[in-house]
Amino acid sequence: MTSPTKIGRRQKDPAAFEIAKNALFKIAEEMRVILCKTAYSPILKSAGDFSCGVFDAEGAMVAQGIDLPIHLGSMPDAVRAIVSAFGSDVYDGDVFIHNDPYFGGSHLPDVNVIRPAFHDGLLLGYTCLRAHWPDVGSATPGSYGAVTEIYGEGLRLPPLRLVSKGVMNADLEKVILANVRTPAERRGDLAAQLAATLRGVQRLQELARRYGARDLVATMAEVMDYSERLMRVALLDLPDGEGTFEDFCDGDGIADDADGNDARFDVRMHIEKSGDRLVVDFAGSDPQVKGPMNAPLSVTASGVYCGLKMAVDPGSLIPPNSGCWRAISVEAPQASVVNAAFPAPVVYANHEMSHRVADMVMGALAAIWPDRVMACSQGTSAVVTFGGVDPRSATRYVSYETIKGGFGARPNKDGINTIASGISNTMNTPVEVLEMAFPLRVERYAVNPDSGGAGQFRGGCGAVRTWRMLPGADAVGSLCMERMTSPPFGLMGGQAGAAAVVTLTTPDGRSRKLPCKGAFQAPAGSVIDMITPGSGGFGVPARRAPAAIGRDLLDGYVTPDGATRDYGVENQDELLVLATTEED
Amino acid sequence: MTWRIGVDIGGTFTDVAVVDDTSGRIGAAKTLTTPRDFVTGVLEALGSAMRAYGIAPGEVGLLCHATTVVTNALLEGKGARVGLVATRGFRDVLELRRSSRGDLYDLFQDPPATLTPRRRRFEITERIGADGQIVTPLAETEIDGLVADLEAARVESIAVSLLFSFLNPAHEQSLGHRLRAAFPGIPVYLSSEVLPEIREFERTSTTAVCAYVGPILGSYLAKLEVATRQMGLPALYLMGSNGGVFETPEGVAMPAMAVESGPAAGVVGAALVARQTGKLDLLSFDMGGTTAKASLIRDGKYETTPEYEVGGGSNVTRFMNGAGHPIRVPVIDLAEVSAGGGSIAWVDRAGALRVGPKSAGAEPGPVCYGRGGTEPTVTDCNLMLGYLGRQSLLAGSMRLDHAAAEAAIGGQLAMPLGVDARTAAAAVIDVVNHAMAEALKIVSVQRGHDPRDFALAAFGGAGPLHATALAEELGIATVVCPPIPGAFSALGLVGTDLRRDYVRTVYATAATADPSVLEAAFRAMEAQGSDMLERAGVDAGRRRFDRSVDARYAGQSYELNVPVAGGAIDAAAIGGIAEAFHARHAQTYGHDNRAEPVQFVSLRLAAIGIIPPLTIRQHPAAAGTRSAKPSRQVWFRSTGTIAAQVHDRARLAEGAVVDGPAVVESLESTILIPPGWQARMDGDGFILMARTKQGAAQ
Repeated sequence: MTSPTKIGRRQKDPAAFEIAKNALFKIAEEMRVILCKTAYSPILKSAGDFSCGVFDAEGAMVAQGIDLPIHLGSMPDAVRAIVSAFGSDVYDGDVFIHNDPYFGGSHLPDVNVIRPAFHDGLLLGYTCLRAHWPDVGSATPGSYGAVTEIYGEGLRLPPLRLVSKGVMNADLEKVILANVRTPAERRGDLAAQLAATLRGVQRLQELARRYGARDLVATMAEVMDYSERLMRVALLDLPDGEGTFEDFCDGDGIADDADGNDARFDVRMHIEKSGDRLVVDFAGSDPQVKGPMNAPLSVTASGVYCGLKMAVDPGSLIPPNSGCWRAISVEAPQASVVNAAFPAPVVYANHEMSHRVADMVMGALAAIWPDRVMACSQGTSAVVTFGGVDPRSATRYVSYETIKGGFGARPNKDGINTIASGISNTMNTPVEVLEMAFPLRVERYAVNPDSGGAGQFRGGCGAVRTWRMLPGADAVGSLCMERMTSPPFGLMGGQAGAAAVVTLTTPDGRSRKLPCKGAFQAPAGSVIDMITPGSGGFGVPARRAPAAIGRDLLDGYVTPDGATRDYGVENQDELLVLATTEED
Repeated sequence: MTWRIGVDIGGTFTDVAVVDDTSGRIGAAKTLTTPRDFVTGVLEALGSAMRAYGIAPGEVGLLCHATTVVTNALLEGKGARVGLVATRGFRDVLELRRSSRGDLYDLFQDPPATLTPRRRRFEITERIGADGQIVTPLAETEIDGLVADLEAARVESIAVSLLFSFLNPAHEQSLGHRLRAAFPGIPVYLSSEVLPEIREFERTSTTAVCAYVGPILGSYLAKLEVATRQMGLPALYLMGSNGGVFETPEGVAMPAMAVESGPAAGVVGAALVARQTGKLDLLSFDMGGTTAKASLIRDGKYETTPEYEVGGGSNVTRFMNGAGHPIRVPVIDLAEVSAGGGSIAWVDRAGALRVGPKSAGAEPGPVCYGRGGTEPTVTDCNLMLGYLGRQSLLAGSMRLDHAAAEAAIGGQLAMPLGVDARTAAAAVIDVVNHAMAEALKIVSVQRGHDPRDFALAAFGGAGPLHATALAEELGIATVVCPPIPGAFSALGLVGTDLRRDYVRTVYATAATADPSVLEAAFRAMEAQGSDMLERAGVDAGRRRFDRSVDARYAGQSYELNVPVAGGAIDAAAIGGIAEAFHARHAQTYGHDNRAEPVQFVSLRLAAIGIIPPLTIRQHPAAAGTRSAKPSRQVWFRSTGTIAAQVHDRARLAEGAVVDGPAVVESLESTILIPPGWQARMDGDGFILMARTKQGAAQ
């Protein structure tokens, strides 16, 4: 444990630190703008599935952009992988690339582009842009198939030098583009990653010119110390104590239980907070599974950090960087579902396990900080991919979407309907953009009534979304979801949110429920109905204000049947009048 | 004599600027804003200005207005009861939004704002496909039921937004026809009329914003126009967020255009400064009590952007991530930061100095105002350092409490930081200047421009006080302080043209686009624009149509706007557009890709009714007038505490030169001239400051 530093006090000029800190975070923000505006695939330019960061020469994260919490813990490992692979063999004009979860990556679709920044020969640090490519090969379009080894998950790139002193390694680029389904789109995305990391490096160099390279490097260290100190002070302010939480996951996409179904498995968490330290221990969690639901430890840590940041720092006063997490330790058994060992497959766990862990942090903390937690959110990224040949243009396509469910109820207010929660903050793809790009039609996209867990404060509702494959467009689809058999839990007497359901209706009129993970055939004319999970309620439903139930009835978030079942409402008219009068 | 009058409603004051069209002589008046009934305040302000300058109503040739009515209704949630009609299966489009949350880690965040609750969102069976063909015909039989539902919901306004209506508006048009017949007294806004552009959430949001604020804007303008006509004043023009003015019926047809009209007026004023001083490349910097705004003028022109979000506590720096209401109309490209004279400085739990985002605003205001403020603000620090004098504000009628400011800075900042009060105050000014410099960088550096190639125009109550420090920070050599900085936005109102923007989504690549199709689309928009200008009585000689194209590399999702040269569109013109796009992409993002196809997404047309250009003039004092007031002690980093000469701006003669360190005071603002800078009064009342030594300020 490092001793708390005295930034500000130590400085002769109290403004210098604040100014340099803000400038470092602005770099990450500017990288974000460049990537969004120049990337080609919808998942990047419209959905925003990427993160930007500024790192020191050792690979510690100095500043993370306002991107995705899922990358809080694992981005530094990605840059450290370059530091340990290349050491001092790094030059001005170099660019590195890698995606291997066993070398600091998260899962294969997340491709890291890392660029060193030099000033007068001194390595200042790195900029890194991690972007989710919609396809990195494998047997399934979208690279989301249920396989049993990482070898089956797509193209693995260990830490590699993509550009050497300004010269692109054309052979490497060819290998990469030969192994992905939509190479032209990938080339555009890679160009955007190169442009954004370059802009970040240029800004870092400008800061070095202005403040001096050595002072800048010192300030980068101070920014991390500063976050550490804020985190420790925040922890000190909160009561000591411990809590445990246990939950199970729906499965890993491999049908391997006695009845030929996907077997569930358990995750266990113990949190102990004492003074300015907090330990999260996953002892007792299940050993790693055959399918891709195994999380590298840094992915598990991202989920922990995300949940903790919301509980400890709800006002977002602590700048997110590696310093925040020095006071936190995360322990997990080797070769378990929360600490994967090579060559276990990992693609689903990246978001599904980190979602799970972030929600469980809330469940465990409820025992010690009941006013700083929320009920379980949707707990899944609800990934659906479609791929095939677009008959309109006779070209290959891969579509990747994530559909949002509910955001958990809080100790003082309802949850939020159909919005990104926890480790995710990606956006949906507009229906009009989707249909122009891919041979499918969205027939419905709406809030799903009665899906928010009942409680004094109601959970957020999930969504329903329906796709129809256009004539002539046979597709291979794949799903990656959780919370089909493990509905999002309520807290303090609140009920669970509605579980997820996905139904495939083929042109022959037959319908079947799809398993939570894995590929499926969707011939032209097929209809896929997805119900995303609602979120858990907070507090006992009997204590819900009658006017709030009335409002929900009026707006159809709760149906008359739901009100009777969940809240024991007998006289609905009275509540409706109450809510109507309230509005007028 | 003919006068032009601009009226700008702000949060605290309503400003009026008057300009004599022939001599360019300007004047200003200020009254308190009357939030309960804005019309009263506007009429008072108008009356007071006309009395002060002896203007008869018959002498007024142009009356322009910037209003906060639209923005306020959105921020305060006081708009109309809107009924929204969507394609079956999609009534929740405003709630589903783009599904990202506004704050990553705030456990207690509120849901993003929706303009109409679910109880007033309705559906109709119909569907247009991605190729513009009808998939499911409009269910005419459902319309009577829909009308009954809308009636039962007692809606005051209706928004209709159906999927793919930007490709084929037939369903919206026939539904709109039926609804307008059924609800003659209620405005009906169709998304294909408001914004025929792809992306259903953004299009629906823009349409819903129109429906939400339309009735309020309509009744406000009707009341105001009756009153101004009774006064004998000419037709009222409204300032749009695009920097142009339009007649009031246009505003009621497209209320989303009137969002941010005040800030737009300020930038228009800066463009006027650029043209008049010959400094055609200019960064405009407008700093008030709570926010600072930056914008870029290039070659005498400002730029607009179609990406804007209002309300919902959205943060301008948080690209793509807001929780407000997106409006896809051209808005002057502004970067805004919560940094102003009222921004509160504090020391956080880790012992670091922070400034903002909390502001003491006008009430209770800074500690030195003596109105109950207890937390040190930027203004308190300016006073502590001598940049502001005890009697600087409102010509000494408001005395500032130096001792109270010093005590607050000492106790709340200097002590925990372990420095003396002056060092703490200087640090606060450094931090706030840096935050404002970031806003200036967003509109310049992030867009591929080097701020060193620009001059800085500073206005707003606090702008001229911080301008030279920002210029130092950005390497800018010249600062322009126009006359009447406190009412400068009102002045911008009368220095612009009539303007209305039109857009059509096209989707064609440069290689395959049919020139005749593009030409026809532009001509159709020009016909709309001609009708508008005809209605406004603009004769043919004063009409101009600016064509432009939103283009991107096929596969990208964000476009860059490229102007189209005059003449009918032919193959050569299309090649020219593609070439201009490559250049713009390289300038903005640092790379281009000439091997990639260039895709045209939207055609834009600005229909402009030219209003004769304006030259403004505030006559300097007669030669030989003494401007010096008693000097005061001012602290600069380079010199320490030093005596600075104080001047009365009203008494500076043409050609008067003031060497820093010095201060120039006027009724509404203070100009700080640090050591190493020199100020000169020109013949039109503009003060130009230039660096005489490198890196000397503060």
